[in-house]
Amino acid sequence: MLEFRTPAGRIAFQVLVTLLIVPFLYPLVVMVMTSFKGQGFVANYSAVLGQPLLPRFFVNSTIISVAVVALTYVCTMMAAFAFAKLRIPWKNLMFYVLLAALTLPPAVLMVPLFTTVLKLGLFDTYWAVILPLTALAVPFTVLLARTYVIGLPDELLDAAKIDGATTFQAFVMIILPLCGPITAVIVVWSMLAAWNEYMIPLLFMQDPAKQVITQLPSYFLSEYGSDETKIITASVITSLPIIIVYLFLQRFIERGLTAGAVK
Amino acid sequence: MSDPQPVPAPAVVTAPGGGARTPSAPRRAVRTVMTDYFYLLPAMAVVLGIIYYSIGYTAWLSAQDWDGLSPDARFVGAGNFVQAFGDPMFWATLRHTAIFALVIVVQMALGLFFAVALHSRIPFGVVYKVILFLPVVLSPAVTAPVFRRIFDANGTLNGVLDAVGLDALMHPWLADPSTSLYVLMLVNIWHWTGLSFMLYFAGITQIDDDVIEAGRIDGTTNATSFWFIVLPMLSGTHLTLAILGVIGAFKTFDIVVLITGGGPAGSSEFLSTYIYKQGILQFDMGYASALSIILLVISICIAIFQTRIQRRKGHA
Repeated sequence: MLEFRTPAGRIAFQVLVTLLIVPFLYPLVVMVMTSFKGQGFVANYSAVLGQPLLPRFFVNSTIISVAVVALTYVCTMMAAFAFAKLRIPWKNLMFYVLLAALTLPPAVLMVPLFTTVLKLGLFDTYWAVILPLTALAVPFTVLLARTYVIGLPDELLDAAKIDGATTFQAFVMIILPLCGPITAVIVVWSMLAAWNEYMIPLLFMQDPAKQVITQLPSYFLSEYGSDETKIITASVITSLPIIIVYLFLQRFIERGLTAGAVK
Repeated sequence: MSDPQPVPAPAVVTAPGGGARTPSAPRRAVRTVMTDYFYLLPAMAVVLGIIYYSIGYTAWLSAQDWDGLSPDARFVGAGNFVQAFGDPMFWATLRHTAIFALVIVVQMALGLFFAVALHSRIPFGVVYKVILFLPVVLSPAVTAPVFRRIFDANGTLNGVLDAVGLDALMHPWLADPSTSLYVLMLVNIWHWTGLSFMLYFAGITQIDDDVIEAGRIDGTTNATSFWFIVLPMLSGTHLTLAILGVIGAFKTFDIVVLITGGGPAGSSEFLSTYIYKQGILQFDMGYASALSIILLVISICIAIFQTRIQRRKGHA
C-alpha cells in the first residue's frame, strides 16, 4: 500500500504506528501490572484462585455457552437450509421477521423478560439465560449461514433426490458436511457472544452459585470491597481463556466479525 | 485475514429472496411439502417466542402503571409516553447517545490508519493486530475494573500525567459530570477500533494492487493514492461502519453500568441504562416499557434508513 523510499521515512512511519498503538496496549499493561500490586502477585492470585465459587462461575459460563452454541447451531442450519433451498410460501416474510430483530437493542427485552421470568419463577435457572441469548444470536447466524448455503450448488440436492434421498437425508448428509467453514464461524462467534454477555445474566442470575464469569468482578467487589488489585486479578484470570481461544482461533473469530458487521 | 478464503460476507443485511432462485430451481417440481416448515420451526419459535413476544408484551406494558409485583396493572394509556417526553433525563440520554455516536469517527479513522499500515508490510504487523483485536474479544465486564482504576482520581492515568510533568491536566475523570461521558467514549474506542480495523483490512484486500501500481506510474504519492484511490474504493465499508456505530451507540449498556453507572448525576446515562434503572431497579415497569418502545422505534427508523441507503448505493 504505502511505499517508503528512504529508511528514515520507514522508521518514522513505524514510530508513528507504535505511538498510536500504545493507548491500546496501555489498559492491558495496567491490568497485568495491577494484579502484581497490593498484597503482591502470590497473595492476589492465591486469594482469587482460592475462591470456592470461582470454579462454579467457570462451569456456569461453560454450561450456558455450550447450550447456546448447540441451540443456535441447530436453529441456524435448519433455517438456513430452508431459506436457501426449500420452496416455502411466505418464506421471504419470515426471513424479514428474523432480520428485523438484528438492530434490536437488547435493552428492549429487559423489562418483558424480567417480568416473565419473575412470573414463571425461572430466576437462577440456566434457561432464563440460554433462551434469550439464543434468540439474540439466531437472526445474525441465520443471515450468515443462509448466504453460504445459497452458494452450494442445487445440483447436489437434485442428484440426491434422484438417488432417492429424502429432504432430511439430503440436509444431514449433503448440506451439513459442506458447511464446515461457516459452522466454525457460527460456533466461535456465538460462543464468544454467550461467554462475554453481561446484561442477561445480570438480570436473571442472582444466586452467587449460579452466576457467570462476567459477574465475577462485581461479585469480588462485594467480597473484597476496595481491594481493586484482587478484582483486577480476577479480570486477568477470566480473560485468559478468551485470550487463549482467540490466539488459537484467530481466523474464525476475525472472519465471523468481518462477516458479521451487523452485530 | 491471512487466508482470503471467502466466507460470504454480506457486511450488512441483504434483501432476501433473490438467492434461492438459482437457474436450476424452475426445473424442480414446485411442490410445497408441509414437513418443509419443520426446518424453519426452531429458529422461528425461538425468535418469535422470545423477541416478538417481548416486544408485544412491552407494548402492552407501556400503557400500564405497574410495579411488576402487584397482581393488578392500571391502564394509563399514553401517560407513560407523556411522562417520558416531559422527563429531562430522557432527553439527556438521547443527547448522550448522540455525542457518544461520534466515537465511530475516531474508530474509523484509527481503524483505517492501522489497516493501511498493516497492508504496507511493516515489521511486527501481527503484534499490532493482536493488540488492536484483543479488546474486541474481551468482555467489557472483565475490562471495566481496569478502566475504573485508570480513570480514578488516584488512578494510573493521573499518575502518568503527574510523572511526566503534566500534573495540570490531572483530573477526577469519572467523578466529574463534564468528563464521565468522554471516558466511556474512550473505552468504547478501545474496545471497538479493532473491528473497524478488521473491516477496513478486509476491504483493502479486495482492492486490486494493480490499481495502485497504475496510480504510481501516473505519479501518485502515498497521500494522493490513499486519498483518491483507497478511500473512495472503501465507500461500502465506510457506510457499514457508520451505521454500525449508530446502532452500537443505542445498544451500549455494559460499559455504562460497569464504569460510571450512568453517573455522576446522570451525566453518562443512556436510554438502555435508564430503562434498567426504571424497570429493574425501581420496578416502574410501565414507564420502563414506554422507554423501551421509544428505543425500539428509534432502532427501527435506523434500520429503515440503513436499508434505504444501501439500496441506493447498490449494496442491497
